[in-house]
Amino acid sequence: MASIDDISSMFHTESEKLEHLINNVTKKSELSIPEIIETYYQIINVSSMSTVLKQQINANEHQTLLDKIAKIDKVISDKFNSNIHPQIMEKLANSIQNTTKNLQSGNEEKSKEEIENKAKEYEELRQIMSTKEFVEQYDKELSHD
Amino acid sequence: MIEKLSKNLVNLKKEFAKIYDGTSHIQEVIPVSKSEIFPIKQQDLELLHQFATKNPIYYNSYEKTIGKTHCIIYEGDINKYWLNSIQHSSSCAPFSPTWIVSAYVCVLLAKELGYREVIDIGSGDGRIAFCAKVLDLESYSIEIDNMLVDLQKLLTTLDFHPYCSDAETFDYSLLNLSQPIFFIGGLAQMGGIALASGVLKKINSISNLKKNTGWVFVGTNSQKYQPDPKNMAGWGTLIEKNNLKSIQTITLPTVWTFHESEETPYVFAETVSDK
Repeated sequence: MASIDDISSMFHTESEKLEHLINNVTKKSELSIPEIIETYYQIINVSSMSTVLKQQINANEHQTLLDKIAKIDKVISDKFNSNIHPQIMEKLANSIQNTTKNLQSGNEEKSKEEIENKAKEYEELRQIMSTKEFVEQYDKELSHD
Repeated sequence: MIEKLSKNLVNLKKEFAKIYDGTSHIQEVIPVSKSEIFPIKQQDLELLHQFATKNPIYYNSYEKTIGKTHCIIYEGDINKYWLNSIQHSSSCAPFSPTWIVSAYVCVLLAKELGYREVIDIGSGDGRIAFCAKVLDLESYSIEIDNMLVDLQKLLTTLDFHPYCSDAETFDYSLLNLSQPIFFIGGLAQMGGIALASGVLKKINSISNLKKNTGWVFVGTNSQKYQPDPKNMAGWGTLIEKNNLKSIQTITLPTVWTFHESEETPYVFAETVSDK
């Protein structure tokens, strides 16, 4: 089992990585699917560490660490949960709606090449849909907190 | 003979998957003629090719010898049907078909087991019901998705009676069934349990069908899905709960296992007789 010092050191590294990711995400108008997945993964990762540490550490001995946890919790809550996450949800929903509409238009006969190119768009739609499911799962857990 | 046929079909699929270099969304093969490896009546094979040729989901075909078997490869795309089926709130699973030859082998086993009528539930393009007609069985095809039923209507050179209906509310007494076998489309883990339970309830309410009725469940042993505690490729608990017993399982290629090493188990079951 990992010691508090190990988790604490890991927490520092991972929370810095998260802040860097959030800063990057804030600057971009469009996010790729891997960027979305990576950001949520890191949010979940750091939030889990924060929960474990808060249960295990003593306020008198680890005040600096507690301050760091409070700071990153605030970043997750104010920057990500209240701002970035709803925007990602909205963009994914719009993207699904637009791609679906686009794929359903045009029933004219297509060549083999055109059909196979169109199949790539369907594959992208499936990826966006499964990303939306993943993001919605995060949203459900948020509303249970 | 059927087990050998299914084994040979699985070997053909594995060989085909190794050499296939196309980029189509779906693909399958049908042997051109009767052979020692595929002892299927020539007339039946021709009807299977006819089903594929007339079917608008396939947009390309070409001949190729795979191993020792001369085949026609059919390339297709079911994306627009997938998109329509996921927008159907009551549809359990998106359309993804078994191979046409696999459908034929399954129905061949149903016929050998003595069933007289095939009811294809969640029938997609109706290939199982079509194969039942090829094998001189009566057949009915129940599909909730209207786009797929319209597709089936283009393929009824042999009338397999397509119905656009919710299989859980359909009135099966209208069909005057005597010795039916129900093929349940959809994996247990993808809405199949709810669908099968609904149909079982309807059939058990028809007195002459409480016995003499067969069931075929599409299974999976893939680690992607939660296994059933009673196993049977995902169907063990439903089989036990409904007082059914498994008769035989055959493993066959399907569109959704084309890129997988494991094929699809079809679990045949029947009602346990009263003692």
